Amino acid sequence: MKRSFTRTLAAVAAVGLAAGLAACSTGGGDGEADGPLTVWVMGDSSANFEQLVAPFTEETGQEVEVVAIPWDSIDERLTTAVASGSGPDLMQIGLSKLRTFADAGTLLSLDDHLADHPGLAADNFPDGVAEATQVGGATVSVPWVSDTRVLFYRSDILEENGIDAPPASWDELREVAATLAERGEGQYGYYIPQWDSPLPVIMTWDFGGDIIDADGNVDFDTPEFADAVDLYTGLYADGSVPTNSDFDQTQGFISGIAPMLVSGPYLARSIADAAPELDGKWNVAMVPGADEKTSLFAGSNMGIWHNTDQVDASLDLLEYLSSVEAQLSWFEINGELPAVSAALEDSSLQSDPLVAVYSQQLADSKVLPLVPNWDGQTGSDLLAALNAIVLTGADRAATLAELSAKTEGTSIG
Amino acid sequence: MRRATLVPYLFVTPAMLLLLAFGVLPIGVAAVVSTTDMNISGLANWSNVEFIGIGNYVALAGDPDFWRALGNTGLFVAVGVPAIVILSLAVALLLERSGGRLARALRSFYFVPAVTGIVAISLVWGYLYNTQFGLFNYLLSLVGIGQVQWLSDPWLAKFSVALVAIWRGTGLNIIIFLAALQGIPREYREAAALDGAGEWRTTRSIVLPLLGFAIFFVTVTTTIAWLQFFDEPFVLTDGGPLGATTSMSIFLYKEGFRLNQFGYASAGSLVLFAIIAIITVVQLRLRRRDVEY
Amino acid sequence: MSNTDARARRRARPPEVRRRRAISFSIGLVLLVGALSTAFPLLWMVAGSFKPQREAIDFPPTLLPQEPTLANYLRLFTELDFGRYLGNTVIVVLIGVFGLLFMAMAGYGFAKFRFRGKGALFFLVLATLMIPVQVTMIPTYLILNGMKLTNTLVGVALPTLVSGFGVFLFRQFMSTIPDEVLEAARVDGAGEVRTFFQIVLPMSKPILAVQAVLAFITGWNSFLWPLIVASDQKLYTLSVGLSLLNQQLAVDPALQMAAASVMVVPVLLVFVVFQRYVVQGFALSGLK
Repeated sequence: MKRSFTRTLAAVAAVGLAAGLAACSTGGGDGEADGPLTVWVMGDSSANFEQLVAPFTEETGQEVEVVAIPWDSIDERLTTAVASGSGPDLMQIGLSKLRTFADAGTLLSLDDHLADHPGLAADNFPDGVAEATQVGGATVSVPWVSDTRVLFYRSDILEENGIDAPPASWDELREVAATLAERGEGQYGYYIPQWDSPLPVIMTWDFGGDIIDADGNVDFDTPEFADAVDLYTGLYADGSVPTNSDFDQTQGFISGIAPMLVSGPYLARSIADAAPELDGKWNVAMVPGADEKTSLFAGSNMGIWHNTDQVDASLDLLEYLSSVEAQLSWFEINGELPAVSAALEDSSLQSDPLVAVYSQQLADSKVLPLVPNWDGQTGSDLLAALNAIVLTGADRAATLAELSAKTEGTSIG
Repeated sequence: MRRATLVPYLFVTPAMLLLLAFGVLPIGVAAVVSTTDMNISGLANWSNVEFIGIGNYVALAGDPDFWRALGNTGLFVAVGVPAIVILSLAVALLLERSGGRLARALRSFYFVPAVTGIVAISLVWGYLYNTQFGLFNYLLSLVGIGQVQWLSDPWLAKFSVALVAIWRGTGLNIIIFLAALQGIPREYREAAALDGAGEWRTTRSIVLPLLGFAIFFVTVTTTIAWLQFFDEPFVLTDGGPLGATTSMSIFLYKEGFRLNQFGYASAGSLVLFAIIAIITVVQLRLRRRDVEY
Repeated sequence: MSNTDARARRRARPPEVRRRRAISFSIGLVLLVGALSTAFPLLWMVAGSFKPQREAIDFPPTLLPQEPTLANYLRLFTELDFGRYLGNTVIVVLIGVFGLLFMAMAGYGFAKFRFRGKGALFFLVLATLMIPVQVTMIPTYLILNGMKLTNTLVGVALPTLVSGFGVFLFRQFMSTIPDEVLEAARVDGAGEVRTFFQIVLPMSKPILAVQAVLAFITGWNSFLWPLIVASDQKLYTLSVGLSLLNQQLAVDPALQMAAASVMVVPVLLVFVVFQRYVVQGFALSGLK
C-alpha cells in the first residue's frame, strides 16, 4: 500500500516536472549576444515578414524570430515590456505612438551609428520625413513603411448622379456628398470614421493652417481649424454622413451606401479582395484640398530596443530592411508602401495607377505632430470634442473652448 | 477536527501562495503606487516617480469621467443583477419541472454562452448588432422597422451591452440553481400538493424560501462580477459611444494602459475595491439579520 | 378495488391530467424557444464558418451557407498556425490540473483543521474575489518577470491557476465529509497525505468534476495572460490567435467564425459530457 502510494506520488511529480520543463523550454532565447534577433511586427501574422527576411538570414546566417502583435494590444505589450525592461531587438512603431515609445526610453539612439550604416541616413527617405520623426532632436527610429490618406470614390455611382470627376475641393466634396445622400433612405454621400483623429487635422492643413503654432505648441484656436470644424459639422448637418459608430467602411463602399471616403492603401486591398467585380468602378484621387492638397504621412518606423545586446546585428537587419530590394519585396508581399525614396520611384511600382496616386500624395504629406500621446490623449480629446458636437449636439463654442483648455501646453518639444 | 500541527499549513500553502502573489500583493502594490504620479517614464525608471499623497484621490473626485463611469457601473448592476438572478431562477425552475431527457438536452444550450470566450462573443454579437449590415436590423427591416443603432445610441448601447452580458451570465447560475433544487426533498412538495396547493403556490411558498442560500450566493457573486463589468463593453463598444458604456473597470484600464497614468489608475482601483468590499459586507450583514430572527 | 371504482377514478383524473400535460407542454415549449434563442448566436457563428468569404460579407446575410466549404478551417490549420495555438491551449489547460490539486488541498485544510490564522487566511481567499483584474496586471507581470517565467506557458497559466471561488467551493463540499471517516483512517495509522489522496479525494469526485470543468473553461478561454506574458508568437493560445484575425477592417468574417468555432466546440463537448457531474457537484456541496 505504502509503496504503491509513493510510486503514484512520484509519477505525478514526474509528469508535472516534465510538463513544466516542456512548457518552460518553449520560451524564446532572450538576447544572448549570439542568438536570433527578435522582431515585433504589427498585424495578424508573422508569415509575411518571415518571408521578407529569409534572404537576409540566408546571406548572413543571422536568425530572425518574428512576433506578430495584434494592433489592439500594442499598449499592453509596451507597458509590460517597459515595466520589466525586456523587449525585442527591433520593433515596428506606428508613427502616432512614436513619441510615447521614445519618452518611455525604449528606443536606442541611432545618431552615433548612422556613419557606419549609410543605408539609414536621412536622405534615403522622402524630404523631411526622417527629420520629422526625430524626437528631441535625436534619431531614434528609421522609416520603414509609408502610408497616406487619399480620396476613395465610386466613379460609377458619381457618374450615375451626374458627376464626372472627383471633387477638387472640400467645399465641392460637401456639395457632391449632399447630392449623393439624396439617393434615398439609408444612403449617404461620404463617410467620416468616428475613430479617425487625423482627418480633421488633414482638413486644417488643406485650409492652409496647422494645429501647432510656431513654438510647437498645440493650438486649436485658429481660423483654419474653425474652417475645418465647419466642414466636419457641416457634412453631418447635411445628413451626408452615417451617424452610427459601427459603420463598416469596406462594406459601405462596396455596397455603395457611402461611396466616398478618405482612407489608406489598405482599404484598396480590402476592396480588391472582397469585391473584385468592382474593378474599374472605383478610383482614388488626392485629397480634395482647394489650394493645398496636403494629406497625412502615416506609416511605421523601425526602432531598436534600448538595451538590446545585439546592436550590430540589429543595425545590419535595419539596413537590410531599408534596402530598395527589401522595400519593393515587402510591397509585393504585404502591400505596404515603401518609405525609401528610391523604392517609391521605382518603375515597377509606378506602373500601378493606384500607387501613382499614392506617391503623388506622399510627396505632399505631413506627419502628425509628435505630441506626447496622440492616440491616447490629444487625438482622442479632439475626436471626443468633435463627436460630442455632431452626435450629441453639444454647444460648439463651449466644447471647443474645453478642447483648447485640455490641450493647452501640449507640445512637440 | 484536529488540533493545530504543521499539517494544515502544508495543505493550504500552495494555493495561498498563489492567491497572495497574484491577488493580494498586487492590490498592495496598487495602494502604494496610488500615492505617486507614476506614468510610463516612471515605470521605466523609478527615479522619475514622485510621491503625491492623496493627490490622485482628490483628482478622481473632481473628474467627471470618473463619476460617469461610477454612474454607469451602478446602472449596470441595478439592471443586470436582478435580471440574471430572476432569469436563471426561472429557467432552472422550468427545467426542473420539465425533468427528463428534454431538460437534460436543453441544459447544454443554456450553458453555451457561458463557456464561450469573450473574443468569439464579441465577434458574433458585433455582426448581429451592426447597424447597416447586421442580422437584427435585417430581420427588423423585413417587418418594416427602420434601422436601430444598437451600439451607437448612448442609451440603447447600454442596453445592448447589458443584454450580451446577461445572456452570458445566466449559464452558470442556472446550474447552481438546478443543483440547489435537487437538494429540496420531494416530500415537502408532495405534502403541499396533498394539502391542495397549486404548483405556483408551492413554488412561491415552499421552494423559493428553501432556495434562500442559493439565491443569496448567486446575488452576491453576480454583484461582485458586475461591479467589475469589463469584457462586454470593452469588446463591443470600447466604452463608447462617447463614454456611455464606460464602466469603472474600463475607465481604470484606459487610464492605465492608454493614458499611461498608473498612479491615477491605481487610486481608482482602490476605490473600486473598496466599493466592492463594502457592498459585499452589507449584503452579508443583511443576510445574517434575515436568517437570525 | 372494483371496476366501477377504477373507472370512476380514471374519469376523475383526465381533466387534471390534461391540465398538467398542457402545462408541461407549454413549459417544454418555452424552454425550447428559450434554449434555441440562447444558442442562436453561436449556431449562426458555426454555420457562418462554413461559408466562403464572398458569401460571408454578402448583404442581406444568409442563415445557412449556400455553398458550404471547409476552406476556412483548412486555412486556419495550414496557413495560420492554429494547430500550434490549439496545442498551447491544451497545455495550459493541463497545467490547470495542478491548480485543481492545490485548491482541493486548501479547501480540505480550511474545512477539516483548526489552525492559527485560519480565519484571516480564509478571509483573504474571499477578498481576492473582489479585486478588479486591471489592478493585478502590471504587478503580476513584474512578479512573473522576476521568477523568469515570462514567455513560458507556465507563466501564462500561473496567474489564474488558483481561484478564491474554487477554494471556497472545495471547502463547502469537504466540510460535509464525515469526521468519523477521517478519524477511522487516522486510527488505522494512515498519514495525513495518504488520507487526503486515498480517502478525501475519491470522496470529492463530484466537486472535482465541477472544478475540472470550470478550470477547463477558464484555461481554454484565457486571453489576457497569454497575450501579455507570451512575447513569442509560438506561445499564443487560441484566444490570442483569434484576436490576431480581428484587423481593423475585417474582410473575412467566415475565417474569423471558423477560428471562433474551433474555440467553442471542444469546450461545449466537455460540458455536455460532464454536465451531470457538474450539477451533482454543486448539489452536494451544500448549496441549499
